[in-house]
Amino acid sequence: MEKAKISGYQLFVLIFLFEMGSALLVPLAGEAKQGAWLVILIATIGGILLFFVYYGLFRYYPNQILTEFIRSILGNFFGKIVAFLYILYFMYLAARVLRDFGETLLTFAYPHVPLFFANAAFMLVVIYTVRKGVEVLARTGELFFVLENVLFMTFILLIIVSGMIHMNNLKPVLEINAVEMGKMAFTKTIFFPFGELIVFLMIFPYLNEPQRLKKIAIAGLATSGIFLSFTMAMNIAVLGVDLTLRSQYPLLTLIQSIEVAGFLERLDVYFLLKLMIGGFIKITVFTYVAVMGTANVFNVKQSSRLAYPVGIVILLVSIVIASSYSEHIHEGLGAVPMFIHLPFQVIIPLLLLIIAFFKNRKKTSKHQRHNTDLKGGVDK
Amino acid sequence: MVSFFKQKRQGKQQDRKKEEEKQSKTTDYIESSLSDNMEIVKRKTGNSPDIIFRTVKISQNPEINTTIVYVQGLIDNPSVTDFLIESMMKNPHLSEKILPQKALDIISEDVVSLGGVETVNDWEKLFLMLLSGDSIIFVDGINKALVASTKGGDRRSIQEPSTHLTVRGSREGFTESIETNIAMLRRIINTPDLWIESMKIGTVTKTDVSIMYINGIAKKEIIEEIKKRLQRINIDSILESGYIEQLIEDQVMTPFPTMNHTERPDMVAGNLLEGRIAVFVNGTPFVLLAPALFVQFFQSVEDYYNRFDIASATRFLRIIVFIISIVGPALYVAATTFHQEMIPTKLLVIVAAQRETVPLPAVIEALLMEITFEILREASLRMPKAVGGTMSIVGALVIGQAAVQAGIVSPAMVIIVSITAIASFATPSYSIAISARLVRFAFIICAGVIGFYGMILAFIVLVVHLCSLRSFGVPYMSPLAPLNPQGLGDTFFRRPMWAFKERPKLISSKGNLKREGENQRPLPPESRGMKTSDGRKGDGNES
Repeated sequence: MEKAKISGYQLFVLIFLFEMGSALLVPLAGEAKQGAWLVILIATIGGILLFFVYYGLFRYYPNQILTEFIRSILGNFFGKIVAFLYILYFMYLAARVLRDFGETLLTFAYPHVPLFFANAAFMLVVIYTVRKGVEVLARTGELFFVLENVLFMTFILLIIVSGMIHMNNLKPVLEINAVEMGKMAFTKTIFFPFGELIVFLMIFPYLNEPQRLKKIAIAGLATSGIFLSFTMAMNIAVLGVDLTLRSQYPLLTLIQSIEVAGFLERLDVYFLLKLMIGGFIKITVFTYVAVMGTANVFNVKQSSRLAYPVGIVILLVSIVIASSYSEHIHEGLGAVPMFIHLPFQVIIPLLLLIIAFFKNRKKTSKHQRHNTDLKGGVDK
Repeated sequence: MVSFFKQKRQGKQQDRKKEEEKQSKTTDYIESSLSDNMEIVKRKTGNSPDIIFRTVKISQNPEINTTIVYVQGLIDNPSVTDFLIESMMKNPHLSEKILPQKALDIISEDVVSLGGVETVNDWEKLFLMLLSGDSIIFVDGINKALVASTKGGDRRSIQEPSTHLTVRGSREGFTESIETNIAMLRRIINTPDLWIESMKIGTVTKTDVSIMYINGIAKKEIIEEIKKRLQRINIDSILESGYIEQLIEDQVMTPFPTMNHTERPDMVAGNLLEGRIAVFVNGTPFVLLAPALFVQFFQSVEDYYNRFDIASATRFLRIIVFIISIVGPALYVAATTFHQEMIPTKLLVIVAAQRETVPLPAVIEALLMEITFEILREASLRMPKAVGGTMSIVGALVIGQAAVQAGIVSPAMVIIVSITAIASFATPSYSIAISARLVRFAFIICAGVIGFYGMILAFIVLVVHLCSLRSFGVPYMSPLAPLNPQGLGDTFFRRPMWAFKERPKLISSKGNLKREGENQRPLPPESRGMKTSDGRKGDGNES
């Protein structure tokens, strides 16, 4: 662990930017058609429930990061294995997001640039930030939070002014019935992006006011959920279900269709900026967490030295992860939630919580018995 | 072998130490014989002719020799001639018969009519005082000397500062003399809490360095930190406050200044009142201010003299100007090489037509023009004033017109570079304008390689870098990050004077944040029949 402290507001900002990161780009919960925004809200509630699992773990070990308390729970040997798996998971996620961003970039602006170059440039920036530590990341997040929100506000303003919103596109909301919606929310949307909050188990211990963690994290999740839901609703309201589902990046299509006063048009750069700020925070958080985890599991004293090796691995993985973008997306929608997200975000944390519960109950009950024995001794 | 040499070297070192000790024993303290003392002074100063010895005989049977020693040019001539030499010669006390042992006391008590008089007996202190302009009086047979404060000599008078110019505000600027500078601050801030601590830094130059702060407003930890860092300095010379700045700043590898400097006493006063600490260095009109934050470099003293709406608008303008001076040419390069679709069609046609004849890619063109501009700027700074006119002719004609006519650069590029140049001079602080110029080149290169993507990456690195800086422990980007809502009132806009309730939290001492009383908002008088702020009507009495 670093010697660092972040404030509640900073944590909120990090969670917000992290959740918004790549989820803004893709047609999130697109299968739900007009009900997409509702599914996102349901998933947000699911995400908050999932957070309580993580929060339970945090309550047992408030001063330890994830890779550390896994070893406290499972013992050194198994703990190390599981912790290592988590590190791989974080690196894999970082690589996925990096690939997402690289591909997006190439598709919409730089068709002639090699993917490796685009990703490598991004990774260099990420490595630079990771080396600076979590405090600097949090402060950067604060500035980007303001920028992101200013962008968002101007964007909404422009859309309203250009008169593109057709509320009729949002009807009928319940084309798909509620059961299916719930199913969609709890099998897909909850894992991406809300379940990814598990990486913050590596950051929560830095919070300078742990007693407020619950409020902060829920506020972060809820705000980002509402923002995502709002964005998706706006996508559909402007573009219609059909176009939203067909376009790879509905937000980009939306931004490209803005035309105000004859000169405010072709705001692609705006999309690029939004894309990169979100992506930057997300990849940096993943990479940072992977670096800190590795340092923790393998007892490396100077964790910042690991930024380069871990970063390069993530970069290479992001290239070889899939042979084409459609393969990448296919994996992301099919296998990853079922076989990777589900165990790492839900099953293992739940098991850990249960074991921690029994372990700590034994401890406390022993402690109590010990106390009563002592009292008895005094009485005699 | 090795150990043998080591021993030998150690032995040598010991010998040298012994020798040094011997020497210092003979010269540490003042001798009682006057001629010996004079000999030592002459030997130590290498017989320099600007050191004046004036021998005066006092007392009668036996006569006692006294010598006054001073350095020509460093002393205030009238005070030495009138109050020292003349009074020594003509004073009735000294014409009587006196004992040599008492002579020094009599001189100091009854004869010398000057403010500061002090006895010293060790040479080191004596030379320090002699060479800083004091006069020394030796009396034969006494192993002490009298030091009379006669500092003076010619110095530049107080003039208008040449940097940080303002339309409104004090016209005084600091001078090269540390005493004058400190006195100027004393004149502005009239409280005994204005504390000053002095030290001499530089093993050869022994430059006077003083730190000034307001006790109770400045944070104790920051004061201690600055003192610690100043005491750590071990260097032969301090010739300007820049030496100190580079030796005590937080981070070396950054283009951004983490200490501020100024020539204006009112700016120093304003900063002291916010809890900052000023470092005065003798020999330069530039006073250092620490800790310095990023937003502070966009503030000018005039912002506080003007009304808040005007000041806020100017602040805002400066931020825009700073952004232009960083990304101006890079934007042009990125838009013309990678993102032509971003430019409105009509403008694109014009730009494309201009670029038709230009043989160079936009990046090279931009770099070429920027470097040319930098050369022009540097040349016009350094060259003798007499040839200044040539510069503008060459610059304007050759670069502005001939290059465009020859088709080497496009006119649009010239416009962009000129706007950027003007923008970089509109930043109030010169030191942050220099940083912007450096960063600009990085942005141009990034934009040339991969367009807006590169620019945004450079922007992210810039933000991360700025967030990672600290100035004497205070985060450089505060109050923006970490966010301090109270402090935001003095960043991009300036809150009205009546709403400046508190001092900046991270800089000022915690217990003493309150700055002004409640209800400072000016209200129209009720008697004038105007409506008061809470809607009540006045009595309507116009008289």
